[in-house]
Amino acid sequence: MSSKNGSTAESAHQSGAEEDETEATLSSIHADVERSDVSGEDYEPWLFQTMLNELSERELGVGFIYAILELFAERHKLTDVAVVLVNDTFGTQMFRLGGEAVTPDMAAHLSASPGVYCEPDHVPSAECDAVRTACQLAMSLHLARFSAAHDPLTNIANRRSFDEALEVAAARSARYGWAFTLVLVDLNNFKAVNDRSGHEYGNHLLRQFGFALRQAVRQGDIAARIGGDEFAVILSNAEGHESSGFTERLRGHLVTLGNPVEFTIGTATSPRDSTDPGELLRLADGRLYEKKGIRIS
Amino acid sequence: MMSRTEEDFELELRSLPGVLNVGITKHANGDVDVVTLVANSKDPIATRSAASQIASLYYPEAAVVIEDANRALADHHRGEGPRVALIRADYDTSDGFCEVQLSVDGRTGIGRAGSGPLIGGAEATLAALRDLGYDVPYSLMTVTNVTNGRDWPVIVTLRSLANDADRFGIARSEDDLVSAVKATLDSLNRFLSTLEGRV
Repeated sequence: MSSKNGSTAESAHQSGAEEDETEATLSSIHADVERSDVSGEDYEPWLFQTMLNELSERELGVGFIYAILELFAERHKLTDVAVVLVNDTFGTQMFRLGGEAVTPDMAAHLSASPGVYCEPDHVPSAECDAVRTACQLAMSLHLARFSAAHDPLTNIANRRSFDEALEVAAARSARYGWAFTLVLVDLNNFKAVNDRSGHEYGNHLLRQFGFALRQAVRQGDIAARIGGDEFAVILSNAEGHESSGFTERLRGHLVTLGNPVEFTIGTATSPRDSTDPGELLRLADGRLYEKKGIRIS
Repeated sequence: MMSRTEEDFELELRSLPGVLNVGITKHANGDVDVVTLVANSKDPIATRSAASQIASLYYPEAAVVIEDANRALADHHRGEGPRVALIRADYDTSDGFCEVQLSVDGRTGIGRAGSGPLIGGAEATLAALRDLGYDVPYSLMTVTNVTNGRDWPVIVTLRSLANDADRFGIARSEDDLVSAVKATLDSLNRFLSTLEGRV
């Protein structure tokens, strides 16, 4: 049995033993990792580490696919490498080292099965499979992220990301006094266009309108489709009168596209009008309907 | 606008119908120079138009090239090298000069020449090929528009500087200038594909 003092000495001894044991365990794991790395079995530590590094800085996307191909080519001294993926939304997609376009000598892989194609072809298939899986994951995540934030018809922001952006802009405006203008845009008589010319033509006009909106906004502004034929724009660092410049740009782009759609806008400016997102929306909506000559009960 | 990142740009391009591969080449300063799409598209003109619209939002200065996936595959089976693609052909009515930009393997070359859209277009194409580094031992002999109307073929004849046989090319496109450029490239197709160490 050990005394209290003895127990301290013993625990110090035990602590040293535990450190040794931990050291040995870590060495063993490290050796396992090394072995796995060399043999190219199921688990690819370099790939896992690269994903962790990427995730610590940003989300996985198509840029990560090129980073993986770069590292993969370096590890195996490859002169060329491409990965062919299949996605429900996109169908077959090929990504080539360095973001290069596919050349005729790589073209055969366009009709090949999903996988990693290397030059020279000496990489263990398990490691190729792991790379393909990581690339597939990155593309799927990027697509899911993009789809969750954008309207599929026009590729501008959807209602959900618009609401989030408006909350953020209003909070900054309340705290720092940063001005922004909320512009609500409503297409005139669009239902009649749909009824008269069909939904396909209506969708074509909506796509064009979304494109014109993207052209008309500046870097840092947000353009969104918030309803069937309703759009919203957040003009950053803009007082109310600056919305007229935006409106002119939008009209100009619509004319260039040959889009006959006409629209009405209503605006509200923060912090002058309000710093509450709901109140800003209500004010802009009221002004829009006022211009249309519609009274809201 | 929200996230105008290069990654989203590429994702938008890949979402276009039939697009299989996207290649992006940049200037030394990092600006995007040429965007090449390999597409298996039923309507390449519509694909190019949609891709150009997307590119104009992210990189207005970038040129957009559409490569036909089936042709790339056919070139592969024939064992041919990279194909020269037309990026743009412009005719300035004020001075009568044509400017032609070509691309091969992600590199671009520009040529300029006067004398209107037919002769100027063919001469500018030869100049653009030389700008790309090709040694083209031919001079322009004739450019003939089969009839004076839109959408009729243009025939280009090149004379060899080494007394080899003349070369002929024919193309029909949306206007005389593009027809002249494509006919010139058509006349040199086999020559360019078989040229060893050409650049």
